[in-house]
Amino acid sequence: MLGLALPYAGFTALCLAMERHHEQVLGRRQIPPGLQLVLRLVGWLLLLASPLPCLALAGWGGGSVLWCGMLTAAALLLTLLLAYMPRLAAGLALVLPMLGLLLAS
Amino acid sequence: MKPGFRQSMAWLHTWSGLLVGWVLFAVFLTGTAAYLRPEISLWMRPELEVTRPGPDIAPRLMEAMARLAPSSQSWTIGMPTARDPVARVFWRDPQAPNRRGSRDAALHPVTGEVLTARATRGGEFFYRFHFDLHYMSPIVARWIVSACAMFMLVAIISGIITHRRIFADFFTFRPGKGQRSWLDGHAVAAVLALPYHLMITYTGLVTLMFLTMPWGAQLAYKGDRAAMNADIFGNAPVTRPAGRPAPLVEIGPLVEEAARRWEGGSVGRITVQNPGDARATIQLVRQDSERISFNPQSLLFDGTTGVLISATGEAALPAAETRGVMYGLHVGRFAGPLLRGLFLLSGLAGSVMVATGCVLWAVRTRQQAEKRGRVGFGTRLVEHLNIAAIAGLPVAMATFFWANRLLPAQMEGRAEWEIHLFFAAWGLCLLHPLLRSGRRAWVEQLGLGALLFALLPVLNFVITRRHLGVTLAEGDWIRAGFDLGLLALGAALGAVALLVAQHERTRPGTRRRATAPLATAEAAE
Repeated sequence: MLGLALPYAGFTALCLAMERHHEQVLGRRQIPPGLQLVLRLVGWLLLLASPLPCLALAGWGGGSVLWCGMLTAAALLLTLLLAYMPRLAAGLALVLPMLGLLLAS
Repeated sequence: MKPGFRQSMAWLHTWSGLLVGWVLFAVFLTGTAAYLRPEISLWMRPELEVTRPGPDIAPRLMEAMARLAPSSQSWTIGMPTARDPVARVFWRDPQAPNRRGSRDAALHPVTGEVLTARATRGGEFFYRFHFDLHYMSPIVARWIVSACAMFMLVAIISGIITHRRIFADFFTFRPGKGQRSWLDGHAVAAVLALPYHLMITYTGLVTLMFLTMPWGAQLAYKGDRAAMNADIFGNAPVTRPAGRPAPLVEIGPLVEEAARRWEGGSVGRITVQNPGDARATIQLVRQDSERISFNPQSLLFDGTTGVLISATGEAALPAAETRGVMYGLHVGRFAGPLLRGLFLLSGLAGSVMVATGCVLWAVRTRQQAEKRGRVGFGTRLVEHLNIAAIAGLPVAMATFFWANRLLPAQMEGRAEWEIHLFFAAWGLCLLHPLLRSGRRAWVEQLGLGALLFALLPVLNFVITRRHLGVTLAEGDWIRAGFDLGLLALGAALGAVALLVAQHERTRPGTRRRATAPLATAEAAE
């Protein structure tokens, strides 16, 4: 679960740092520069952390394959939700990691 | 003026993709189905019970083989697993009616009794079809598929170069905007699953490399194919019988020895040569779901004394291990349920990528052609083939499952007829667009596919004991999951068909008739 949640949240943060998608979700095109930087940083940090649950679950070999698959699944989910239900897409980025932490603990 | 690098790459991408697109779509979709090979095979044999394999199953199976094929030259026993809970056995019999001179049977995983089930190729058909095609020599087919895969690799790499805004458009999909949506959908399906596409195409080429680039191996082995196969695939070399009878050694201790050497790994396959002869050998091959690498680990024992003769795959050389890992990644047999789900998802994304690419070409060419006021034969041909290849294949696959349920169980040549009907349905889908306008043909074929898939679980209720009411209650998750998957597939295809039909109604006189299915195909993904 966390394996999917981390890349999903990371991708969402990165995508909210992009003007077009920021407008889709929040309705304004202007992103405060400070917020944009924070979103980018958080996004990359989450993506950097995202292999960890996969590696913990399946070791180096299987884990890296699993991680690639999770990246794909997360990005596909986000892209489709953005197109049809943008608010839900952003909301899920908050809910999924919490759910993941709950299930992992 | 000389075209720029990117433009020449765009040209290369368009044509390398389009020329082989229809074959690639079929290879991708059936290959994706092949991830579920054991599940499909089990679903297509509703007679078989799902039972947990018994603890001392190996000796039981050996006794069963001694009864079944006492005078055969060799036996192969595929051990039952959680995914495929029956033992599948083969033995050589020169009098067997098929070309290979072998017979096969399914054995009960606890008692070793022969199980009777309808004759079918099951999931094996999709697996074989995705590189051997059908109705032609497998060698020719493999050359065709290899060539297509090579084009695919070219298309992927030139596609990456052509895609100018790979990061800016990373999450961008704008539905309902005609050509724009097709391009977005194509790019999203391609970019987001790119690691998978590159991996599957490249490793696919690697699995066929001994056919397409045999020279290195020929030189190294000086044409000795048997020795090469023994080294690469872990097949035991064939030995001649001595002609003196001798009893086979007990299998139990050999299985224990294997578990010790493989640090708890389990036996996936047992091959016995010259059983009952003084020169008998027993080979144990490790379960291939336990490691990524597909270099089979195997142990070869003397069949009368139980002495270990040789072991393979324990310390594979780097080149062999590289190939093994690539092969293993391609077939994905090491994957647990979660990872298998991700492989399925990525495989579907690949199918969508190829399909949207083909449709995109048609949409764009038709637009240009209509500006010139004349739609050429080439455009119409591509549109026609798109319908037959993309909407027709699901119809054919569903027909295969229907044939499995409806053909009489005792029918002569039953397994072959399932396949003939698969191709007959596909052939009809190829003719059907001749009678219909493009959009109508899309809607009708997609709708038919949706109905066929969605009604399969219903058909199960009517004519088999393995319907959802029973499988869910009994915890037969393989069959229940498969039925639910069929329902989901039917729903997805139905949604696509519905959206195409609606799109047609809300935008009467739309100029780009192929636009509708694309936007909706994406919606259903």
